[in-house]
Amino acid sequence: MHRFKNLNMNSSYLTINEAAKLLGVSIDTLRRWDENGKLKAVRQQKDGYRFYSKEMIELYLKDIFAVAKKWVVSSPPVLPESECYCPDSLVFKTRLNRLEHDLSKIDEVKNIFPLITAIVGEIGNNSYDHNLGNWPDIRGTFFAYDINKKQIALADRGQGILKTLRKVRPELKNDEEALEVAFTEIVSSRAPEARGNGLKFVRQVISDNNLFSIEFYSGSAKLFICHGSEDLNIKKSDITFPGCISLIKF
Amino acid sequence: MIIELNKFGTTLTSRQDGKEAYNAFLSTLQTVSNNEEIEIDFEGVITFTPSWADEFITPILDTYSSRVKLLHTDNPSVEATLRLLAKIK
Repeated sequence: MHRFKNLNMNSSYLTINEAAKLLGVSIDTLRRWDENGKLKAVRQQKDGYRFYSKEMIELYLKDIFAVAKKWVVSSPPVLPESECYCPDSLVFKTRLNRLEHDLSKIDEVKNIFPLITAIVGEIGNNSYDHNLGNWPDIRGTFFAYDINKKQIALADRGQGILKTLRKVRPELKNDEEALEVAFTEIVSSRAPEARGNGLKFVRQVISDNNLFSIEFYSGSAKLFICHGSEDLNIKKSDITFPGCISLIKF
Repeated sequence: MIIELNKFGTTLTSRQDGKEAYNAFLSTLQTVSNNEEIEIDFEGVITFTPSWADEFITPILDTYSSRVKLLHTDNPSVEATLRLLAKIK
């Protein structure tokens, strides 16, 4: 394990005491998180001292959904940080492949990780399919995930569900109605605009598997589907913006 | 005819990629003889979505319907996608 030689001398690693202080938890909690896989430590030798990479602790401290929310409402618009920014669908596809690979290494999701990649793929690709050539300001999506916290955040500053759905359902009154239609009604691919049924798929996967949940915001509405449930729980949200943002927990 | 989907990739997610795969495969598909069975094999596919399927699988099912047989569909994202496609039809 040459990589971890002299960890305590290496400034990119922290001791368990330093990591506990930064995270605001006890050393016992960190030991428990290491044992149950929530936040794995690295060791110089078997049963040796626990060390934590600074990068991992920084990622753990970062709330990716809060960063995504801040980005969609930012005015004037700014580009997301490069590690979260997918300016086009090719970059998104590459990062989706990386997510698939990272998830495949986690024992507890090894049988169902393709479902996670599939729902992330549907939400992300929807952003490109419905906004190509029509991005109001910043082109592309925000896409970040935190394997330790089991969270995935996606966001776009596109036209939003209401505006894109009104092309096939002009009678829709508001963002709440648009979210309900998007997640429940099958829109035939023979409709005037070729549309996916990706959000219905997301709902089906979440209700059929007691393992995932989603928060989804668009316009001034938000929705929450709890694992194993079909209920949409649509409400007015605390933010208003033109695009879409979602948080998937697994 | 057997269509091995893993020859198009193992992460089959976007509508754009599904459309491109279908267009590229169309000339091969047109060589299928009358009454020949078309087997679509999902072996090796890791992630599969309704968007990709709607561009590739749906037109094949629409054209050849009862002659299409689906093989190795036990991947959870393949199962979930096929279940949704069945609801749409």
